Amino acid sequence: MSKELIRLQDLTMEFDGERILDGINLYINDHEFLTLLGPSGCGKTTTLRIIGGFLTPTSGDVLFDGQRTNEVPPYKRQVNTVFQRYALFPHLDVYDNIAFGLRVAKLSKAEIQERVTEMLAIVGLKGYEHRRIDALSGGQQQRVAIARALVNRPKVLLLDEPLAALDLRLRKDMQNELKRIQQTLGITFIYVTHDQEEALSMSDTVVVMDKGRIQQIGKPEDIYNEPRNAFVADFIGESNILDGVMLEDYKVRFFGRTFKCLDAGFQYNEPVDVVIRPEDIDFVPVEEGHLVGTVTSVTFKGLNYDIIVDFRGFKWLIQTTDHQPVGAKVGIRLNPEDIHVMKKSEYSGMFGDYSSYSAEYDELTEDADDEEE
Amino acid sequence: MMKKNKSILLSIPYAIWMLVFTLIPLGVVAYYALTDPSTGEFTLQNIRDLGMFLPTLGISAAYAFVSALICLLLGYPMAYYIAHRTPVMQKILYMLVMLPMCMSFLLRTLAWVGLLESNGILNSLLGALHLKPITMIGTPGAVILGMVYNYLPYMILPLYAIIVKIDPRLIEAAEDLGCSGTQVFSKVILPLSMPGILSGITMVFVPAVSTFYISQKLGGTDTMLIGDIIERLFKSAGNPNLGAALSLVLMLVVFICTGVMNRFGGEEEGGVVV
Repeated sequence: MSKELIRLQDLTMEFDGERILDGINLYINDHEFLTLLGPSGCGKTTTLRIIGGFLTPTSGDVLFDGQRTNEVPPYKRQVNTVFQRYALFPHLDVYDNIAFGLRVAKLSKAEIQERVTEMLAIVGLKGYEHRRIDALSGGQQQRVAIARALVNRPKVLLLDEPLAALDLRLRKDMQNELKRIQQTLGITFIYVTHDQEEALSMSDTVVVMDKGRIQQIGKPEDIYNEPRNAFVADFIGESNILDGVMLEDYKVRFFGRTFKCLDAGFQYNEPVDVVIRPEDIDFVPVEEGHLVGTVTSVTFKGLNYDIIVDFRGFKWLIQTTDHQPVGAKVGIRLNPEDIHVMKKSEYSGMFGDYSSYSAEYDELTEDADDEEE
Repeated sequence: MMKKNKSILLSIPYAIWMLVFTLIPLGVVAYYALTDPSTGEFTLQNIRDLGMFLPTLGISAAYAFVSALICLLLGYPMAYYIAHRTPVMQKILYMLVMLPMCMSFLLRTLAWVGLLESNGILNSLLGALHLKPITMIGTPGAVILGMVYNYLPYMILPLYAIIVKIDPRLIEAAEDLGCSGTQVFSKVILPLSMPGILSGITMVFVPAVSTFYISQKLGGTDTMLIGDIIERLFKSAGNPNLGAALSLVLMLVVFICTGVMNRFGGEEEGGVVV
């Protein structure tokens, strides 16, 4: 990666005495695709709005190319924003919306024409120049919003849940499109979303946030494979999270058994959270199993079955293509690389138990998350 | 959704009302306007005679237009201010704007007479400060003042209704795209307020152009407006046919004015509420 472009230093933000951001430290490199990921109210949008200049932090600094920019108004920043629900100008047509920033910058008519035309081609809206905004579909409005921001050739593009209002299919297409545009133009993207899949598939760097704090920063693979606490493990994908004790390096004990693992650097006999991803678990015959449990529910998901297995009263989610009927006794083996050990945190015990699991749960939370701040 | 034939039923009460109190009277006005006062025969003489009122019509339109313009200049900042308060504050300010409208129109105008009279309250105040009295009553300024005072709420309310609906994210988007405060106003807020501006101007202009009481009480003997002439033709001059003709023409003028404005507004968003 290239040089650092934006740095957030000890950023805090309070509204009416309520702390929205609590000590955010983050740097963002030039040409990076960075995603702020978290549930509603985690502070991701607030962080984005501070970078955009729409909010001034209560304390802490925003550095842009090493310069402090806390009080610089939005119109003087080399940053453009793609707003949630687009915020396109209803009194202007597609062409005039995209040309808006260039006209404010007083560029020549010829150059405006050239750049708008080029941008229309990039977002695939050639021939739509003189359409009214309300005559466009959601996906087309989204493209206009992206074009309107990118035509100004900003150093950084801020995207606030830009795909939240689109249907699933369109969202997938636009994800690829956005990634392609970002790579073609080489612009830094700061992307806000609550959709973990979106974050993992598009980003160079993912910043997981909750309660106004950064929970983990890392590459998508690292965040998924090495979550730092129970919150991250649960928010990024599905996880079974168990209480364990780290006996010594590479040895962890849970469910009354000692397992080999790949983790080290804990105190002797330190209590820990143990994460086991549902897709890492394979069934074996009962007599070969490290653990033996009873299947309590099976849901067909297309790619795999979601199978809930009761191990001594603790219910695990196991994702497998291997069908097992309800009531069957099953054994599982855990290899060292399937076991991930995390330090205890404030989130310990809050996640990772599938006792109340139901197939509709996912969809319900997704709907509820749509309305952000 | 209600079925079409059922929803027609709902419109019947008002349709009857409109027939009895608008369409039939309008027909009567047209009848008078187009008949001879003595013989009752069809004639266009009344319309031809209106030529002598043309200057007055021009003056009335000018007064109404100036009043509407002043109302806009006073009302827009106020409407903008109200639209950007907290919801509770908005309600309070909205009520305050409406408050003068709860008072009788006649009383409001008479109160201005008391203030502006040669030996009225304002001049007494000037006298107490050892300043020369100013002639205020009977001037065109007093008439315009009376119109602005009476019709200002009709400007503020439609403006407020439009401005409050402008999505604050559009303002942020404009800032994001490089607009300074004044540019945000001229490039986004003003164009989006246009329907409210047109509707406000119409709602001030239409009653102001045909008013008679304000000009009689606050204007001089020489500031005769079209409304005053219509009143005189019906009452003291005893020529209802000519009065009817003048009313009819005035109505046409207003229709044309609002039609032109609607065309303006049509390009933007929606139409103008009359």
